[in-house]
Amino acid sequence: MSISLQKGQKVSLTKESAGLSKVIVGLGWDAAEQSKGFFGFLKSAPDIDCDATAIMLKDGKFTAKDDVVYFGNLSHKSGTVNHMGDNLTGEGEGDDEQIVIDLSRVPSEYDKIVIVVNIYSAQARKQHFGMIENAFIRIVDAKSNRELCKYNLTDNYSGMTAMIFGEIYRHNSEWKFGAIGQGTKDGSIGDICRRYL
Amino acid sequence: MPINLSKGQKVSLTKGNPGLKNIMVGLGWDVNAFDTGADFDLDAAAFMLGSNGRCLTDKEFIFYGNLEHTTGAVKHMGDNLTGEGEGDDEQIEVKLTDVPANVERIAFTVTIYEAEARRQNFGQVSNAYIRIVDADTNQELIRYDLGEDFSIETAVVVGELYKHNGEWKFNAIGSGFQGGLAALCGHYGIEVA
Repeated sequence: MSISLQKGQKVSLTKESAGLSKVIVGLGWDAAEQSKGFFGFLKSAPDIDCDATAIMLKDGKFTAKDDVVYFGNLSHKSGTVNHMGDNLTGEGEGDDEQIVIDLSRVPSEYDKIVIVVNIYSAQARKQHFGMIENAFIRIVDAKSNRELCKYNLTDNYSGMTAMIFGEIYRHNSEWKFGAIGQGTKDGSIGDICRRYL
Repeated sequence: MPINLSKGQKVSLTKGNPGLKNIMVGLGWDVNAFDTGADFDLDAAAFMLGSNGRCLTDKEFIFYGNLEHTTGAVKHMGDNLTGEGEGDDEQIEVKLTDVPANVERIAFTVTIYEAEARRQNFGQVSNAYIRIVDADTNQELIRYDLGEDFSIETAVVVGELYKHNGEWKFNAIGSGFQGGLAALCGHYGIEVA
């Protein structure tokens, strides 16, 4: 049974699934129905392009550009974190983007992987997370395809252009997942990374 | 070297520190790292308990609304509303030798103010900890990291100081509750207005 998480909740991934090695971090979202009023003068609203990013931290800090796994750097140099590709429109059921992490092989100097989603070109396109609904993050055991936990983001994120969905981190000898669901007004992935300097 | 406590652990404070008279219970947490969300206001409290596990009177509940016990044995150093600043955010001093004889245990608790209204819980607070320091030597005796053991709770009974065969011991209870400070008051026999 997948654990349904609430904001702030932390769960041990390794405790949930003995012998856990690889996980799929699945992220999904839907574009909310746009009210005519907002885009009244447009024929159709531009698609909202949400991008999932995994920021790998050493001792809780961001130290190198190549530790950011995103649409422009799909594979971490260690080969243990792989982004499965950029979804430009959010169409389709289930996960919109996926990041596969081989937890058993993540180099020991990395103690935290922060999973962030931001809206591409949010400012220019005048988009924000108030226009997104049903956002979720889930962690799946890649070997058994069993969903371990899922966090449905339910706060009001109006005005936010980036969202820290959650983080996967080491604690003692376990890997844990923390449901964060914190919105920020950061414009780009670079801005988000700078928070971890 | 402070002992890093695990839930359920009991340690003697006075055994390793004979002559321990005054302790300082320090509480710290980090402010919200992001630009959204309300401030986190964590409150430390001490419940001075009799043999029935309850406070003898309202005056034995030491918190931001009642900072010092009439005997001066337990003194709360003040309410920090935001967690700004390095080190301990709130402190409670205990003069072990002045604790009245009818007080058998002192429970230390941490609660999140207005947790429900602000939709906050311990999982969202970074680096929350409680520590006990020998006030005379400034040596840290015990430390308990609240950040990992508690996630969706809003009130925690961190532990209790209790007398055992002439020693003062600390029991790391680590029990989490929903319902904030009000829930703990009910538990210890304090009526909430």
